[in-house]
Order: sequence, then C-alpha cells, then structure tokens
Amino acid sequence: MNKKNRYYLLGGILLLAFAGFSFSSFKETLTPYVSYEQAREGDRMVQVAGALEKGSTSYKDVEESLYFTLHDPKTRETLRVRYKGLRPANFEEAISIVAIGRFDESAKQFEANKLLVKCPSKYQGAEVKEYG
Amino acid sequence: MNAILDSLSTLYLPGALPLWCALLFSLASIWGYSLVVRGDAASLGFARRSYDFFVLGIVLASVVLALLLLMRDYRIEYVHQYSGNDLPSHYQFAAFWAGQKGSFLIWLLWGALLGLLVKKTAGRAEPVVMGIYTLTLLGILFILVRENPFVMLKETPLDGQGLNPLLQDDWMVIHPPIMFVGYALSAIPFAFALAALWRREYDGWAARAFPWALAGFLVLGTAILMGGYWAYKSLGWGGYWGWDQVENASLIPWILGTVMIHGLYMERAKGRYRRVNYLLASLTYLSVLYGTFLTRSGVLADFSVHSFVDLGISGWLIAGMVSFLLLSAFLLATRWKQIPTAPNEDPFFSRGTFLVLSTISLTVSAVVIAVGTSAPLLTRFMENPGQVGPEFYNKVNMPIALLIALLLAAIPYLTWKGEEPREILRRMLWPGIFGAVLTVAAAVWQVRDVFHLLFVFLASLALATNLQKTVAKYRAGGLRMAGGYLSHVGVGVILLGFLASSAYDQSAKVTLEMGTPRKVEDATLTFTRFIERRGFEKESMEIEVVRDDGERFFVYPKLFMNDRTQQVMANPDIRTTPFQDFYVSPIDYDPGQPRIQLAKGEAGRIGDLDIRFVAFDLEADGNAMAQMAAGQQFTIGAQLAVTRGGQTSTITPLYRLDPVNGTVQTPPMALPGGGEIVVAGINAGTGAVQIEVLGARNPPKLSVDVTRKPLIQLVWFGLYIVLAGGVLATVQRLREMRVRDTLPAG
Repeated sequence: MNKKNRYYLLGGILLLAFAGFSFSSFKETLTPYVSYEQAREGDRMVQVAGALEKGSTSYKDVEESLYFTLHDPKTRETLRVRYKGLRPANFEEAISIVAIGRFDESAKQFEANKLLVKCPSKYQGAEVKEYG
Repeated sequence: MNAILDSLSTLYLPGALPLWCALLFSLASIWGYSLVVRGDAASLGFARRSYDFFVLGIVLASVVLALLLLMRDYRIEYVHQYSGNDLPSHYQFAAFWAGQKGSFLIWLLWGALLGLLVKKTAGRAEPVVMGIYTLTLLGILFILVRENPFVMLKETPLDGQGLNPLLQDDWMVIHPPIMFVGYALSAIPFAFALAALWRREYDGWAARAFPWALAGFLVLGTAILMGGYWAYKSLGWGGYWGWDQVENASLIPWILGTVMIHGLYMERAKGRYRRVNYLLASLTYLSVLYGTFLTRSGVLADFSVHSFVDLGISGWLIAGMVSFLLLSAFLLATRWKQIPTAPNEDPFFSRGTFLVLSTISLTVSAVVIAVGTSAPLLTRFMENPGQVGPEFYNKVNMPIALLIALLLAAIPYLTWKGEEPREILRRMLWPGIFGAVLTVAAAVWQVRDVFHLLFVFLASLALATNLQKTVAKYRAGGLRMAGGYLSHVGVGVILLGFLASSAYDQSAKVTLEMGTPRKVEDATLTFTRFIERRGFEKESMEIEVVRDDGERFFVYPKLFMNDRTQQVMANPDIRTTPFQDFYVSPIDYDPGQPRIQLAKGEAGRIGDLDIRFVAFDLEADGNAMAQMAAGQQFTIGAQLAVTRGGQTSTITPLYRLDPVNGTVQTPPMALPGGGEIVVAGINAGTGAVQIEVLGARNPPKLSVDVTRKPLIQLVWFGLYIVLAGGVLATVQRLREMRVRDTLPAG
C-alpha cells in the first residue's frame, strides 16, 4: 500500500467514525412525539402534544413552576405537566401545547423543560411560540 | 370553457395577465435558445427579446401587486390576508413578501432581473446558460400561475386581516428581499455548470461563475446576519441562532456556497476540483430548493416556529427538485469520464491538500445540518416521528469547527508545492503565543472544559495567522489581494464569539415587583415604571439596573398587546458593552391584581394591607344555612383579620345571594385607615373567598428573562470581517475576468 492510499484509508476511517458519532448524537437528541402512555414509560426525552384542560392551570411562586393538564382529544387521556419557568404569555388561550421533557416516575407528572404554545391567530392559522 | 371563464372572473387581470404573458415569453425564450443551440443562429435575437419581455411581465406583475398593497385594495385576497387599515405604510409594502405567493414573486423578480446580467456576461455559452437559467425561473413561475397572487374575493371587505404582528418589524422590510436575492443568485453558477456539461466545454465556466458564486455568498451571508440581528434584537428569542428549520434552510446553501467558492478557487489556480465543482454548483442550488420544500410544503408545520402554511404546492416543489436533480445527475453521469482532471500529486502539507480537507469538513457540516433539519421527515415512517434540538447541531459541529480552525490556522503558511511541517510550526511562533495567551486568559476567566480551551486556542491561532498573512498581502499588493485571508480572520473571530456567547451565557428568569429591587447575580434590578403607549411607540417598561461595581443604567423592554389579534408581543432591550450584552427580554406583565383569593386561614396582601381570612360567619344576618335551605336570600360574612401599619382589626364584610334570580349584593365595608373592602366572590367548592379592596392594588409585576451574553459582539464583528473579505475577493475576481475578456482571442 503506498502512502497516498494510506491517507485515503485514514480519511475514510475518520469519516466513518464521524458518521457513527453523528448517528449516535442524532438518536440521542431525537425527541420523538409520543402518546401519553408511552411518555409514562419515561426513559428518555420526548415530546407530547395536547390541548390545555380548562381550569387546570396553577402557578406556584415558591418553586416558580407552572402546573397544567394536557388532554389528548383523540384518546381522551390526560397528562399532568410541570413546567419549571414563568407562565408564557397568552397561555390560557393556547389551542395546542407541545411539551418537551420527560416523565418523572416519583412525582407522577411530566417534567417539561420546553413548551411550544400554539395560540389562535387569524393570520397563518396559528402562531407558535417557544418557551424554555 | 365555462370553467376557464369562471377562473378568469376571479382573477385580477391587470396583475394576472402580465404573469401569463411572462409564462408564454419564458417558454418562447427557452424555445428560441434551444433553436440557437441546434444551430439556428438567427433565432438568438428572438430568444433574447422574448427573455426581455418575460422580465417585463414579471416586473409589471410585481408593480401591480405593490400598488394593490399600497392602495389597500382588499378585493385582492392576498392584500386582504396580509394588509390592514392600521398597518403603517412601510409595512404595507413589506406585506409583499409576508405570504407564500408574494415571496415566490419577489424571488422570481430578482431572478428575472439578474438574468439580464447573466445574458450579457455569459459569452458564447449564452444560449445554453440562458436556456437552463430560464428553466429554473419557469419552475417558480409555474407555482405562481397556479397559486396566483391576484385572486379576487367575491366581495370587497372593508378591512384586511393585518400583517402578523411578529413580522411588523423594521427588519421585515429588508431581510426577506435580500434573502431572496441570495436564493436567486444560487441558480446562476448552477446554470453555468450545467451549460458547460451540456456543451462539453469544460473550461471557462468556472471563471465566469466565480463572481456570481461570491456574490451569492455575500448576499446570503448578509441576509443571515440580518436574520440573526432580527431574532436577537427584536424578537427576543434570546439568541441570534436557534437552529430552527427555516434558519437552517438558508444556512445549508450558504455553507455549500462557501465550499463552491473554494472549489472554484482551486480550479482557477491549479485546475483541480474540476469534477467536484459541477457537483458543488448543483448541490448549492438543489439545497435552496430542498430548503424551500422543507419550509414551505407544511411538512414541518408541527415542528418549526416559523414555517409557512401548506398551499398545496408540495407536489410542485418535489417535481421541480427532482427534475433538476435528475438533469444534473444525467449530465454529470454522461460527461464524468470526459471531464479533464489534474492528477492529485500534492504532498500532505500543501495548500491543495488543506483546501480539500477544509472543503470536505464544511460539506460534512452541511450534510449533518441537513440531516438534522430533515429529522421530522426521516423519522416520519418510524413509529414516532421526532425532531432534534440545538444540542444535536452544537454537538456534531463542535469537532468540525475544531478541525476547520486547525486547517485555517495552517493555510496561510502553505504553498501549492508543499511545506515542511517544522517550517510551518516555526513561523507560527507569534500567532502561537497569541493563542496561548488567549487560552490562558479564557481558563482564568471561567473556561474549564478541555475541548473549549482547545477551541479557544485553535480559533485564536487561526485568527492570528490569517491576520499576519492579511497584513503581509496588504503590504505586498494592496488590500484587494487579501480578501480570502481577511475572511478567515473573521471566521476565527466568529468562532470565539460563538463559544463565549452560547456556552457561557448566564440566564435567569425573574419576576420583578414594581419598586422592589431584586438581585440577579452581580446586578440589582428594579422595575421602576410602566411607560404608556405614545403614537407608534409601544408600551415599555423601565428597569433600573445597578451593578455591583456601581455602574447604573436603565433598560426599556417592550411588552404590548397587538390590538387586532390580542397577542402579547415582546421586544427585548439590550445594554451592550464591549465584553458583554446585558439582555432583558420580557415574558409576562401583571398590571397588579386588585383581588386575592384566600382559603380559610390563608393570608395575602393587597396594597399596604395584610389580610387573613379567619372563617365564614354564617350568622352575619340571620342563619344562612336555614335561609339557604328555605331557598331564600341568604347572607354570608367573611371574617377577616386586617393588618395595616402594625394595627390589626377584625371586620366582616358581607356577601348576599338571592337564589331565585341569582343577584348578588356585596356591600363595601369601610376599612380603618381609609379604603373599602368587598367580598367579590365565594368559591363554595374550596371554601375560599375572593377579596377586593377598592382604591388599592397590588404592585404590578413584570417577569423577565435576564441573560448575560459574553463577547457576543465578536459574532457580529466577525461576520462583518468575513463579508468584507468576500467583497474584496469579488472585486478581485471581477477585475481578473475583465482583464481576460479584453485579451485578444487566441
């Protein structure tokens, strides 16, 4: 094997290694959309979507956390969510909410660290805002 | 026939007719050029005039749409959707590109106008270049004819729906049109490359496409810079880059365009990369199409903060993308073997090898960003589709950035014929010392992560070696020779800014009560006053910031309700210092609750009163239980312990309900020391009362996100340097081209 081919081989190995690294990062950071039932298995970061259950919101100043219940219009299931952060503007008017986080087995609630709040808007159907 | 007439009657003809004519003329132009290609030289005039008329049609259609917007002609659906009576005039014009249809039109307008220049400068390749280029424009025109911006409503509404308040920002006037100039420019090197393949004339296209590729790089870079400013300075997204799909859709072509520039440079200088450049020109353009597809077909609607709604054009976009992909693939495959190549005999430590390695690294970066952006599509067929967040992009781009910084640092010392590694290291002495000093400084500051320290070292090394070379080039031949190296200095600066501002920012979300100072890290924040709306100036909040070192300043973030949509809009305010941005972004404003809800035994505060709910008094005016049972009007008292200025008194305001007609009476009760107290409501379920004090309020509360972004100025400053270097390089390439064109034909 001459010198040039050795460089190509080295380059190929590096590229393959990087591809492997990227793939594992991809799998690791991928947050899939799941049903509440799957979210309760709680072993990874997921996103759940649903509508806000009316009157379920409460804010606890001491822990600076927002509590609310999501419900899935299709399966009629509900999921209690805690979002550590400030209450997003227009939160009560949200037509749908995507919560990204993981299920906390001991507290029996979904711990969200990011919310996507879709508010009604006459414009392009709806306005999505990100929090977290 | 009737169907055609029906569709005619729903279109605004002064706008739709020019579009149709443009469609006919573009087809005529392509046909004319194809005749020329087949040897009928006499058709050249026809093809050129047809193209001119095509441009005229597009210009007319655009002018008509602009006028309709300025005249607020709500008969037109597009005007109705994106304009409104309350819209200030400069936004009325910006509404042109607020929606899908208008933004395709502005893209087409720029493309058509640029074509006039392409036509003049394409030389002998003109017929094929223009044929292919017009074909790319035809694709957009097809979409516009189908999704016509001149559709009329059956009745004329009195008001439009208004422009999305998020878009009502000065950047909206300038950022999108510049972005579309960049997209339009990407089609030009593509047309040159495919034409060269078609004609089997493999030399010469690179020189002609080079200035266009540089221009595309510059314009797209400027647009991305503006988008970053927009996100950071007015939208309050907290950062300049969020790895959102729409942002990535513009970044991928920019990275590939950068690779193409370097490829073209290699071809011009050494005759290398001749095959690869065809690929790069195609990929850059196809990535624009792919990004357009991702962000406009609605496939990402659930995932992106700002993607468009689906117009039902996905099929068209896919068809366009696939046909250009097939055309490129076919031409490349049939010509591949014929394209002359220079054998790769470069030693490892040579400019050629390092350039190849940098272009590979950049391409890999573009590919992983594209894969991340496509995650919702790629995982669509799995059980649960998902997406990847910023962590993915930051993580995978980190090693690439390290490698690129290393390559950039060495490049100024490398020649084409190769260099001894020891010699390179020797010449790196001063830049090395500079890098080491910065690295130590970073470690002293707060950088502890080994990779981050390595990152600081390599980025500052690249900055210094390229700066050294820029100065040397400037001394030798003037600044215009130093464009490339100057850009690389900028890259070093940007990398430092990226790391500091994204990995070492500190953010805290706090709620400030008006008048009460609150300490956040090394600063004390006080929400001092609420400033009412004045004319176009929206409501803002004044926050006084006092630093531990004594520095005192005010910030004025804005939080206001859009009158039309009742959406709460927020604009951050930033205090910029050379080393840090103090970024205050409002989240929520509570004007002060005049009411509090108290359960039995609970205490709360209204104004200067501490109120504790002791118990219900069911004997306040007869026996409430007996009255209730009899279905009569009943009265409940709320026994409250009210403390003001250390004095506690017990009072029992009343709540009277008539169950027959549901009327409620809540007589106000005078408070010792002034004011009146009222039981505003009773929650029978939880046994809580709502208490309201007339003439008193709780202090307003403002929730803000306070972020410190160290060295973020470097990001902007570095980008300016990169773009300035790009301008110098463009000027230089244009000069070279002119010099060659004036040479007598050999």
